[in-house]
Amino acid sequence: MLKARPAPAQPDSFAVTAARLKAKRIQRRRLTDVLAYAVLTVIALIMLYPFYWTLITSFEPTGNIYEAKILPKAVGLRNYAEMWKGTTVPFWRLILNSLIICTLGVTLTVTLATLAAYPLAKMRFPGRDLIFYAILALMVLPNESGLIVNYITTIKLGLLQQTNPVIDAIRQYLAVVLPGLASIVGLFLLRQAYLGIPLELIEAARIDGASELTIWRRIMLPLATPTIAAFAILEFVAYWNSFLWARIMLPDKNLLPLSAGLLELSGTFSTNSRAVMAGAVITIIPILIVFAFGQKYFMKGLEGAVKG
Amino acid sequence: MTTTPRRVSRREQHRVGGTGAKVTARNTLIAYAFLLPFLILLVVYHTWPVIFGTYLAFTKYNIISPPQWVGLDNFKELWQDEQFWSGLTNSLKYILIVPVIQILALLVALLVNRPMKGIGFFRTAFYVPVVTSFAVVGLIWNWMYQQDGAVNTILRMIGLSQKGSFLNNPATALYAVMFVTLWKGIGYYMVLYLAGLQGISPELEEAATIDGASRPQVFWNITLPGLRPTILVCSLLSTISAIKVFEEIYVMTQGGPAGSTYSALFYTYSRAFQDFQYGLAAAGGIIIAVISIIFGLINFRLTRGGKADA
Repeated sequence: MLKARPAPAQPDSFAVTAARLKAKRIQRRRLTDVLAYAVLTVIALIMLYPFYWTLITSFEPTGNIYEAKILPKAVGLRNYAEMWKGTTVPFWRLILNSLIICTLGVTLTVTLATLAAYPLAKMRFPGRDLIFYAILALMVLPNESGLIVNYITTIKLGLLQQTNPVIDAIRQYLAVVLPGLASIVGLFLLRQAYLGIPLELIEAARIDGASELTIWRRIMLPLATPTIAAFAILEFVAYWNSFLWARIMLPDKNLLPLSAGLLELSGTFSTNSRAVMAGAVITIIPILIVFAFGQKYFMKGLEGAVKG
Repeated sequence: MTTTPRRVSRREQHRVGGTGAKVTARNTLIAYAFLLPFLILLVVYHTWPVIFGTYLAFTKYNIISPPQWVGLDNFKELWQDEQFWSGLTNSLKYILIVPVIQILALLVALLVNRPMKGIGFFRTAFYVPVVTSFAVVGLIWNWMYQQDGAVNTILRMIGLSQKGSFLNNPATALYAVMFVTLWKGIGYYMVLYLAGLQGISPELEEAATIDGASRPQVFWNITLPGLRPTILVCSLLSTISAIKVFEEIYVMTQGGPAGSTYSALFYTYSRAFQDFQYGLAAAGGIIIAVISIIFGLINFRLTRGGKADA
C-alpha cells in the first residue's frame, strides 16, 4: 500500500509541511532507536549474564553458590589458587598443552592451505579441475564416521604408542592436530583471495626468473594477508576450543588441552564447583583477547566464507 | 609491435585450463609439490574415513581383531535397538529449534544492521557464546540449571514457579539442552545474515522507500527475497547440525537422565568408544548421514534452491 503524498497548495505551506514531515521522521527514528537499544540490551544480558555470573562466582570464597546474583558477596582468589594447586594434573600443564596444540595446529593449517591454494588459483596443470571438484565434493560428503575411523588410523599410525616420555608427548600432540590440518574451508577462502590478485604481477615475476616458491612467499602471501589473518583467528579459536577429539584419544591426561582438561576436572572436582569456575574463566580469557584484537578480520573471514 | 592480450573472463579461463604459466612437466611437478602435503592429509583424514567407515558398517569390528563381514546385521540390530530409536527421535525433535534460531538470528541481524552508536558492542556481545567452547558453555549452563541455580532464581523473581533441576528431569532435560544450543547459535547465524543483508544493494531499498513503500513492504518485497540464498545456507547448516547434535549432550547430560537426551550421534559415540562396537557405530553413522542428506534436500526444495528471485 502506497502512502499518498500531501499535495502542497502553496510554496510556503510546502516548506512548512516538509519541515513538519522531517521533524516527524526524526522523532520516529529516535523512538525506534530507543526501542532497538532496549531489545538489544535485553538480548545482550541473556547472552552475557552466564559468563558474568561465572566470573563473579569464581571470586566468591563461600556462600550460596548457584543462585543468580548481580554482585559477588565477597571477593577472593582462593578458588583460583585451589584450581592452580589442587589438581592431579598441574593446571599450567593444561595451558602449556593448549598453547602447543594451538601453535602447531594454526601454523601448519595455515601453511598447508596457503600452499595448496596457490596452484589451484594461479597455475595450469593437468588434473587441476578434477582435484578442485574432488575437494568440493568432500565438503558436501558426510563425514560421520570421521571420529571412529580417525581414531583407528591414529592407533594404526602408532601415534599412541608409549616408549619414551619426550617422544610420546610429541607423537600425541601430533595425533591431536593431524586430523584437522587439511582445512577445506581454509583452502576455499585462500583460493578466493588469490584469484583476486592480478595475474600481471605473477607473470612479471616469472619473467624476472622468480621461482614459484618465491612468488608464493613474496607476492601471494603479502597480498592475501587479511584473509590469512582471518583464517588464522578462526583456526586459533577452533584449536583452543577443541576438546572432544583430544578427550577420546589421549591416554595421558597430562597432555590434555585446557578445554578437555576442564571437563576432566569438573568430574574429579565435583565438590568444588567454584574452582572449576575459576578454570572456566581462565579458559575463556585467551579467546576473548584474540577475538578482541582480531574481531574485524574474524567477522570478515566469516562473511567471506558465506559469500565464497 | 605490441598486442594486448585478449581479455578472458574468469569462467572462460577456467574452461581453457586457467591462468598461469605454460603446462610443462616441470610446472606440473611444481604444482603438485605445492598441493601434496594438503592432499595427503585430506585423503588420510577426510576421504579414507568415508570409504573405510562405509565398509565398517557391514562388519563386526573391535580394532583388536580384523573386521568380519556381517552384511546387513548391524542395520538389523539398530532397527531393533530401542535406544537407537529414541536417539533418532530426539535428533529429529532437535530440528524444532531450526525455525526458532533462524527467525531470532534474522531479527537480531536486522537490529544490529542499523547504523547506531555502540552497535559494535552488541555484535561482539552476541558473538561471545559462539567463540566459547562447548566444554565451557556446557559447564556454565549445568550450573545455571541447578535446582537452586540462577535460572530458577530468575524464574522465581519474575513470578514463575520454580522448577527442580532442569537437567535431572527427563521431561525437561532435552529442552534445556536445546535452549543452550539456541543461545550459543544465534550469534553465529546473526553474522551470516548480517553478511547477507550487506550484500543487498541499498539503492534498491532506497528507491522503494522513495516510491513510498513502507518499512514492512521494503522488508517483505526486497530484503527477504534478497536474503533467500543466505536463508538456505543457514537453515541447511542448522538442520544438519541439529540432526548431528552431539557436543552439548556429551558435556551436559551424557544422554541422561534415563536416556532422555540420547541423540543419534551420541548413541553412535557410545557404541564406538564405550562398547567398542565400531561396525555398529559406523552403521549408525551412515543412517545419520542419509537422514541429513534427505533433510538437506527438503530444505533446498522449501527455499526454492535459494535463488534470489522466486
